[in-house]
Amino acid sequence: MSGTTAGLADHLGWSITGVRIVFVLLTFLWGSGLLLYAWLWAFTPWEDAGPDAPATPSRRVPVAWILTGLSIVGLSTTFGLVATRGAAGPSYATTPAWWGVSLATTALAVGAGVWATFVDRPDPARGPRHALAVRIAVTGVLGVVLVLQLSTLQQGGLVSFAGALVLIGGIALVYSSTFVDKWRELSGERVRRIREEQRSEMAAHLHDSVLQTLALIQNRAGASTEVARIARAQERELRAWLYDGDAPADSDLATDLRDYAAALELDYPVRIEVVSAGTSTERASGEVAAAAREAMLNAARHAGGEVSVYIEGATDAVDVYVRDRGPGFDLDAVPDDRLGVRESILARMRRIGGAATVRPGVGGAGVEVHLRYEDAS
Amino acid sequence: MRVVARRSPEGGDPVSRVRVVIVDDHSIFRSGLRSDLDAGIEVAGEAADVAGAVEAIVREQPDVVLLDVHLPGAADAGVEATGGEAVIRRAAPDAPSTRFLALSVSDAAEDVVRVIRAGARGYITKGSSGAEVSRAVVAVADGDAVFSPRLAGFVLDAFGAVVGETADTSDELDRLSAREQEVMRLIARGYAYKEVAAELFISAKTVETHVSAVLRKLQLSSRYELTAWATERRLL
Repeated sequence: MSGTTAGLADHLGWSITGVRIVFVLLTFLWGSGLLLYAWLWAFTPWEDAGPDAPATPSRRVPVAWILTGLSIVGLSTTFGLVATRGAAGPSYATTPAWWGVSLATTALAVGAGVWATFVDRPDPARGPRHALAVRIAVTGVLGVVLVLQLSTLQQGGLVSFAGALVLIGGIALVYSSTFVDKWRELSGERVRRIREEQRSEMAAHLHDSVLQTLALIQNRAGASTEVARIARAQERELRAWLYDGDAPADSDLATDLRDYAAALELDYPVRIEVVSAGTSTERASGEVAAAAREAMLNAARHAGGEVSVYIEGATDAVDVYVRDRGPGFDLDAVPDDRLGVRESILARMRRIGGAATVRPGVGGAGVEVHLRYEDAS
Repeated sequence: MRVVARRSPEGGDPVSRVRVVIVDDHSIFRSGLRSDLDAGIEVAGEAADVAGAVEAIVREQPDVVLLDVHLPGAADAGVEATGGEAVIRRAAPDAPSTRFLALSVSDAAEDVVRVIRAGARGYITKGSSGAEVSRAVVAVADGDAVFSPRLAGFVLDAFGAVVGETADTSDELDRLSAREQEVMRLIARGYAYKEVAAELFISAKTVETHVSAVLRKLQLSSRYELTAWATERRLL
């Protein structure tokens, strides 16, 4: 009825009718079918509804409120009883009429609470607010009955005590759905964790086998060969897939230059190591990034071999160093029509108020380009 | 702390070869590395797991152990320990003159920093050429620390050098001195020790001293960023 038999039938591969018949038969065995049904219903996780699943049926009759109303009627009746017997002292607590009415009130109130929290919950028209309201009303009713019951504890003796226990149990039952919810949440959490564990196990396996092999290929093939370049690109891709699962789309300077280095390594016989420190607030679309890319392209095109890129982002400034170990060049000897260094690096940095220096590397080997941009604000 | 005379199986040879033990769980990588190492380096043993590595190191007493960060068989050494860390913790007491150089393929900074804090003298990537590994082995055998540009960048970050934190005294463990920062910055920019020395007008020996001092801080400092940041960022 609430989809439990359907879910079970789906799970076991039986027909729904078959499952229902089994439940009905089991019910004749001292009601075990009913118990099993209730248990399954409470603890079976909700099946995720597909996009084309029909909307959850909405019951129009406010069953929970009708039950609540009836329980309030019952409560008034108990007050009536108390009033008529009031003259004779609190001995009303031992009469069967009192027992009948208070038990009925309790049952109705508990029924209302349970209905509201279990049955009405998936109903979009009655949200958690509705369940909360019913619960508060029901708790009020049960609380009043409980107070009446407790006030007669001395006269009623053991019977009254048992009654009070029943009432407390009822209140617990009304709130039990919260614990059931928690339980369902926990089991969902466990499933997610298991999936995550499987993923990291696979990552560890790939790390131990494929990445090692790719590293070995690079190192056996020699740094600048075609094979090594392809292996390096593959390694980079695999590593990105393994570890940077959910990288933000908005990339910062370091991420951008890393991607660019990867692209250059495919096109030129070069190995570019990008190191970054600090937090870079500089956006990848900025002029500093454009100048740095130009410097890296120059290094890849004219020097090749090993190129080091170091990005340091302080709170108010960013420094980028691009260093190669190629033959080097003399800036003054570069003809004026060659725009690369002069226009794309030096002038670009000057325009945004930064600074760029190009100098020969230490010991005369290669070129080091230093870009510096200080935040004016 | 330059090692003047190394243990040598022949004995008495003053320029004896550096003896290494290679610990890696991939035989193909071990054999590749073995054939790539320079002639001046003698491979005294190999091991593929934690127990085998400890046994080989204690037996051979090598100058340097080339140690993979991730190794199988570390389960009994604690839940969190990577294999490399377990090897250092168990073998170091029984091989006092052995130095460890971590090798890693693409590990999280966390793992590399853990191995260094366990006592490794530096780390290099598995993509490094045989010549680079050989140079690093010799440097470590001589008592120097081996810092890759990435490790230098990480250190600058983790010790707050980027945001302007500077140690007032040289024995402060949680921050770098101004000179140490300069050295680390140049290494991060891809400078070799010799080039760092030329750039800063100091001797190569002084550069090594600074690098060793930084390594010591990396091993002993209790700065929480060392572990917290290493967890968040990947070194390689």
